Amino acid sequence: MSVQDDLETVNWDVSEDAHITVDNEQCVTCEDKPCLHLCPAECFDYQEDQEGGIYFAYEPCVECGACMVFCANDPDKGAVSWSKAEGGKGVEFDFG
Amino acid sequence: MTDASFDVVVVGAGRAGVAAAYKLADEEFDVALVERAKQPGMKNVTGGVLYGSILDDLVPEFPEEAPLERHVVEHNIKLLHGDAEVSIGYRDLELREEPNYTLMLGKFDRWFVDRAVEQGVTFLPETGVKDVTQEADRAVVHTDRENGDIACDAVIGADGVNTTVGRKTGIQRTMRNEDMALSVKKVIDVGREEIDRRFNLDSDEGAAYIYTGFPEGAPTIGYFIYTFEEYISVGAVGGLETLRWLGSEGYGDTGTPLYSLLERFMELDTVRPYVRGDAVEEYQGILVPEHSYDSLPGRYDRRVALVGDAAGLVLNKGYTFRGLDYGIKSGLVAAEAAVECEADADWDSFGQRYDDRLEDSYVLQDMKQHRHLPRFLENERMYGAYPGIATETLRSMYSANTDASGLTWRQAYRAFRRSDAGFLDLLRDGYRGLRSL
Ligand SMILES: Cc1cc2nc3c(=O)[nH]c(=O)nc-3n(C[C@H](O)[C@H](O)[C@H](O)COP(=O)(O)OP(=O)(O)OC[C@H]3O[C@@H](n4cnc5c(N)ncnc54)[C@H](O)[C@@H]3O)c2cc1C
Ligand code: SF4
Ligand code: SF4
Repeated sequence: MSVQDDLETVNWDVSEDAHITVDNEQCVTCEDKPCLHLCPAECFDYQEDQEGGIYFAYEPCVECGACMVFCANDPDKGAVSWSKAEGGKGVEFDFG
Repeated sequence: MTDASFDVVVVGAGRAGVAAAYKLADEEFDVALVERAKQPGMKNVTGGVLYGSILDDLVPEFPEEAPLERHVVEHNIKLLHGDAEVSIGYRDLELREEPNYTLMLGKFDRWFVDRAVEQGVTFLPETGVKDVTQEADRAVVHTDRENGDIACDAVIGADGVNTTVGRKTGIQRTMRNEDMALSVKKVIDVGREEIDRRFNLDSDEGAAYIYTGFPEGAPTIGYFIYTFEEYISVGAVGGLETLRWLGSEGYGDTGTPLYSLLERFMELDTVRPYVRGDAVEEYQGILVPEHSYDSLPGRYDRRVALVGDAAGLVLNKGYTFRGLDYGIKSGLVAAEAAVECEADADWDSFGQRYDDRLEDSYVLQDMKQHRHLPRFLENERMYGAYPGIATETLRSMYSANTDASGLTWRQAYRAFRRSDAGFLDLLRDGYRGLRSL
């Protein structure tokens, strides 16, 4: 099982507007890139040809808030601009 | 200009917010409950066990009426060490006298909101709160609905761990890795009878399992298994700061994410028999506040009170989580403060009154009593050396292959001498542990 298989079990009502964005310029100087292993939904992917090596997709976000804490709130990182998906949009859990 | 007005607006329909709104409606307040999800519970995740006596007064009939999973009669603590596991199990039929149940928030929160609406609460789903402002004689809740500003006397921010209300008003300080743990969890379809068999339970009985010691010596990382009626939940929790350094294997590498640790945990020989084989029905990820009493973030301003996870009111005791009941209690306390303000026609002291009452409540008394526990649980020896000592001691007691000469306490002493822990460490940790549990 990979987390991608697990994510198949999750539903989203994806918004047209991204609730989280990444300013790739900030990623250039970020050495350890914790987003690659701390995001539980693998929204951050390492791609050589992206500025700073980061490709970000908001669609599979499970809205945990981790990237706000480890990136947006870290003055040495700060590529992430974080907000919650608008009312009625985003991840929808069945069980909780 | 605002578009609607209420006495009190509660932001977030988790149990903390619903309890506050329910109680206020009960007291004849005109109260709005604003929730960003389409349906209650859709955004919410817990473990978990509800320590339910907190609902006795508000909804005395909840054990019969609410969609609960299993009545918890057994708790297990398991220390992992390599191929071995040392466990302490506690099963007690007297626990049946206490209304402690496993639950799934998807079902529970929907039921609780329905009850609150019957009570007179105005429920506004699919409505995200963007900001809260305080003016001279009122507060205003700004939502993402068109013409969606709501005026009120006071706001209860019950919007969970990443609280919009707390962040936008500046009540909550900026959260950093040290303040938060990450959790990932799977809900697995096992089937009712198979759960009864696997976990040795009667059909309505439930059990809770907490694990530490994997990977060896990694502080703050733990796992849990809870039994629901037909499903089990299996999850991993770890401090964000630990996960950051544990996972940073280098550039472009995905390191060791928490979901990979959970996978490996589920493959351990001692764990697999409980969790194997069945279909994963849902995968979830969420943050858990990890404050000690002394590092709790701010929780009030003039006309705003933060309750539940929004105020960081969660205690990871190492052997159990408390947060569901703390949330409900803090919501009730905020409602009581509002009743007082209304009676005195003095809303500017709402936040202060809430905080004074909360300080006297069992929630903050509990957290105060356990104020040293979070630091104690960061101690690496708890996750490596000590499970190792316990394992080696038991191995020398039970294994026919080891050189089992001497008395048990001598074997324990030898295991201890072979470990990395020093004698003073043991004394110090033992003392701290006793003091904080
Ligand atoms: C893995 C795990 C295991 C746990 N196990 C246990 C356990 O066994 N026992 C226990 O007692 N506790 C446990 N806890 C803690 C417990 O789950 C939480 O403390 C509790 O759920 C907090 O409830 P709450 O009402 O404060 O917040 P939440 O349940 O998070 O509710 C917040 C609500 O606000 C809404 N919202 C958020 N932002 C906005 C906005 N801007 N506008 C409108 N609405 C908004 C959300 O959609 C949500 O409905 C566990 C937690 C985790 C993560
Ligand atoms: S942690 Fe933030 S700054 Fe660093 S690479 Fe990831 S997104 Fe960029
Ligand atoms: S909020 Fe959580 S799931 Fe969403 S992108 Fe950030 S870390 Fe990933």
